[in-house]
Amino acid sequence: MSTTLDLPAFQPADYKSDLKPVWCAGCGDFGALASLHRAMARLQLEPWNTVVISGIGCSSRLPGYVSTFGFNGVHGRALTLASGVKVARPELNVIAVGGDGDGIAIGGNHLLHAARRNLDIAYFMMDNEIYGLTKGQAAPTTPTGDKTKSTYWGNPEPSVDPCELAIAFGATWVGRGFSGDPKTLVDLMTAAMQHRGFAFLNVMSPCVTWRGDEQFKMLKAKLAFLPPDHDPTDRTAALRYTRETDVLTTGVLYGVRQPSLCERIDEIRVKARHAGVVSTTAEILAALSPPI
Amino acid sequence: MATRDITIGIVGSGGDGVVTLGDLIAQVAAQEGLHVIKTEAYGPQIRGGESSCTVRVAADEVFAQGASVDVLVVFGWSDFGRFRGEISVAPDAFVLCEESEERPSGEDLGVVSGVDLVWVPVPFAGIARTSSGTPASKNIVTLGILGELLGLPADTLKRAMSRRFGRKKASVLEGNARAFEAGREFAVSRASTFAKKRLGYTPSTPRLLLSGNEAAAIGALHAGCRFFAGYPITPSSEILHFLAEWMPRAGGAFLQTEDELAAIGAVIGASFSGVKSMTATSGPGLSLMIEMLGLAAMAEVPVVIIDVQRGGPSTGNPTKSEQSDLLQCLFGTHGDAPRVVLACSDVEDCFHATVEAFNISEEFQLPVLVLSDQAVGQRKETIPAEALRHEVRDRLKPTDEDLQNYQRYRETPNGVSPMSVPGMQKGMYQTNGLEHDAQGRPNSLYLTHETMNAKRYRKMWPIRERYHAFRRFGPPKADVGIVCWGSSKGPVQEAVAAATARGETVAAFVPQTLYPFPKRDFEEFQASVGELLIVELSYTAQFYKYLRTFLDLPAGRTHVFKRSGGKDLTGGEVLEAVSKARAATARERVAV
Repeated sequence: MSTTLDLPAFQPADYKSDLKPVWCAGCGDFGALASLHRAMARLQLEPWNTVVISGIGCSSRLPGYVSTFGFNGVHGRALTLASGVKVARPELNVIAVGGDGDGIAIGGNHLLHAARRNLDIAYFMMDNEIYGLTKGQAAPTTPTGDKTKSTYWGNPEPSVDPCELAIAFGATWVGRGFSGDPKTLVDLMTAAMQHRGFAFLNVMSPCVTWRGDEQFKMLKAKLAFLPPDHDPTDRTAALRYTRETDVLTTGVLYGVRQPSLCERIDEIRVKARHAGVVSTTAEILAALSPPI
Repeated sequence: MATRDITIGIVGSGGDGVVTLGDLIAQVAAQEGLHVIKTEAYGPQIRGGESSCTVRVAADEVFAQGASVDVLVVFGWSDFGRFRGEISVAPDAFVLCEESEERPSGEDLGVVSGVDLVWVPVPFAGIARTSSGTPASKNIVTLGILGELLGLPADTLKRAMSRRFGRKKASVLEGNARAFEAGREFAVSRASTFAKKRLGYTPSTPRLLLSGNEAAAIGALHAGCRFFAGYPITPSSEILHFLAEWMPRAGGAFLQTEDELAAIGAVIGASFSGVKSMTATSGPGLSLMIEMLGLAAMAEVPVVIIDVQRGGPSTGNPTKSEQSDLLQCLFGTHGDAPRVVLACSDVEDCFHATVEAFNISEEFQLPVLVLSDQAVGQRKETIPAEALRHEVRDRLKPTDEDLQNYQRYRETPNGVSPMSVPGMQKGMYQTNGLEHDAQGRPNSLYLTHETMNAKRYRKMWPIRERYHAFRRFGPPKADVGIVCWGSSKGPVQEAVAAATARGETVAAFVPQTLYPFPKRDFEEFQASVGELLIVELSYTAQFYKYLRTFLDLPAGRTHVFKRSGGKDLTGGEVLEAVSKARAATARERVAV
C-alpha cells in the first residue's frame, strides 16, 4: 500500500474518530481497533486516501471509529464493496473489516473469490466464534458441542478454521493474531497492509458478553508463536498451523507474491490500448461498424 | 410489383447457419439505408437445437417486428414444429423449403385456406453440395437466393460475407462464393415468381445496426461509465460481453463477479469511490440485487442497474420476453427506498434511457433501474448514426465552502447533498446502510429517521418536474387511448398507424419514466380519449395494478389487454384489443 513519508507524521490518535465505540466493556475489538490505528500510523497512510469497509456485526462498526473514508455496508458484502472501490480506484488504500459470521457464513462466497482474484486489499476478520450483535447464536467458527442461544443442546456442527479456508481459496497472505497481544497484532496488520494482493488476517477477538471471561483466558493460555524457521512461502507448512486444538499459533502463516487483480487489470488496459483507445461514442461506432 | 416492407422468417437447427444468414441480410440492408428489425428465437439447447431468425426489411420506418412472415425459409420442418404458435405466416407468403422433405399443409403453417401460399421447393443441401462441396453452405446458397429475391446488391452481400468469414481457410471462402452464385442462379430461374416480393427502394445513407443491449452498453460509455460489474445471465449478457471488450478500451475497469450480490456491491463501491458505475442483469439476478438496491438508496450512492426482462418467476423463460419485473423494480427491497425506474421501448431508447439513468442517478444520488426486455435487448434494429447523442450530467461535488465543515448528508432544499470522494482531504466521512445523521454516523432516533426519509424522498420532486418523459402517438383526440410501456410501444405504434389508416381515432401514451410516473401528462392524455386500453405482457397485469395505486382510472371505460410473455406482442393483437374495447359494453368491461 502507498505510504507517504515526507508529510508531518500521523500519530495513531490521528486515525481515531470522535465516535465512541458501541462495543461492550472488555470486547476484544477494542484491541483490534487500537492496533489498526497504530499500524496505520506506522505506514503513515493518508487518511483521505484510505477507505475502511465493513459488513454487519459488532466488529463491522469499526469503520466509524477510524478517521478515514468509511463504508459500513450490509451483512456479508464488505468484500464486494471493497472490490469495487479498489478496482475503480487502485491508488486508494482499501481495508475490509468484519466478523466471522459476516465473513465466513453469509459472506463466505465473496471471501473465496476475493482470495482467488488476489484482490489488492487487507481483510481483518475479528473472530469471536459467536454472533454477538444478534445476541449469542452459533457461528461457523463456534466449536462443536458448544452451547449457544441457537445450539441449546450443544453445537451439532463442525467448525472451520478461517485461515485454512483463506489458504485453500488462494489468498496470497494469511496471518493469525490475537487482540490480547497488540504488539504482534500491530506487526501483523502492518505486514498485511503492505502486502500486494489479498491479505487475510484472522484476529481472535474474544466476546466477553456471549463467551464470557473463559474465552479470553483460554485464548491467552493457548497463545503460541510460529517457530523462527517457519517458511511462509511453504503452503503445506502453513496448513500445519490450522485446525489447531491445544494451541493458537499467531504470525504470518503464509505469504507469497503473485500478480494482484489490479495488476492483471492494468495488463488488460495495456492490451486494450494497443487495440485502440476510444474516448467518444463516435469513435466506438466507427470502430464497431465500419462500412461494408 | 415491388414491395416496400417485407418480413423474412428463417427456421433451421443449430449448424444450419440461420442466424448468420439473418445477420448478413440485416447488415447489407442497413448499409443500403433500409430500415431493419431482426429477432432471433432459440430452443433451450446450448448448441444445436432449433433456431429461428426473423428479419424485417422496409423502405419506410417500421416500429416492430413484422406481424407475419412474407417469406418463410425452412431448412427442416421438425424445427419449424418446435416454434408452433410463435411464427405467424402471411396467407400469401412464399415458402422456401427443402425440396427433399415432405411439405406440410397450409393449415400446418396456421394459414387456414393456404390457397395463396407460394411453395418454392429448393434443394438447399443439394445446391450447396454441388457448388461448394459441402451441404454446410446451404445458408450461403439461401443468402444468394434471398439477396436476389429482395434485390439487394450482390457486391455488398459478397463483401459482408468475406468480412464475416474472413478468418476462414481460402478453400472455404471460395466454396462460399460458389454457393452464393449458385443460389443467385436459382433465384434468377424463378425470377417471374420472385418479382412480386422484390423490395422497391432507393439506396440512402447507411444506418447503424445495433441490438438494444449493445445500444445500452454504448449509452453507458457515452454517459461516462468507467466501471462495470456483472454476472452472466440471459438475455442481458450481451451488455457484459460488449463492455468486457470496450470498457478497457475506454480506460475503465470491468469485473465479472461471482454472483449478482457481488456485482451490485462492487458497483456501489466503485461509485462511492467516485467512478460512474453500472451493472446489468435479468429477473433472477435482479432478485439477488434487491437487498443492495436498498443500500444504494440509503447511502445515497448513484448506481445504474439494467434489467433485461425475461419470463418469470424463478428461472422462468430465459430466452423469451415478458414485462413482469415491473413491480419488483418499482417496489422491491425492504424499507422506504427511493429509486427511479426508466423503460426502454426500442433499440435507440436503450441508449437514451441508459444515459438518462446515469444523469438522474448521478445528479440525485440514488439507484436508477432501466427496464429493458428480451424483445428490445436482443433484437437488432437500424437507427440513424446521429441519433446516439445525449447530454451528459455529473454528480454534485462539494465546494471549498462545503468542505469547511463537511457533512455528507447535509439537509438541502432538494435533498441532494454534495458528495465527496476518497482523496478529498477535508471530505472524509463514513457512509452507512444504517440510518445515519447528517455526517453519516449511525443514529437510530425516530426523529433522525423521519428527517432522513424526508430528505431522501425530497429528491423525487425535482425529478418529477424535470424527468417526465413519455411518447404520445395518434390524433389529439381519440376514441380509444392505449397505455403501454417498454417493448409494447412498437406493436402499439403499428396498431395506431393501422387504425388511423382505417379511419379510426386511436392514440397511445407510452411513459419512458415509469417512476416517478408522469402523472400530469397521463391525466391530460386520459382526458383526451374515450375508452382507455392498457396493454402489457404480464399475466397479472402488473402495469394496470401499478397505475391504479395512484390514478383513478375511468370506471367502466378502462380495458386491459394482458397476457404472459413468451411470444412478442404484435400490432394485430393490439388492433383486436382496440376493436374489443370499442365494442365492449359496460357489463363486459375488464376487471383484473
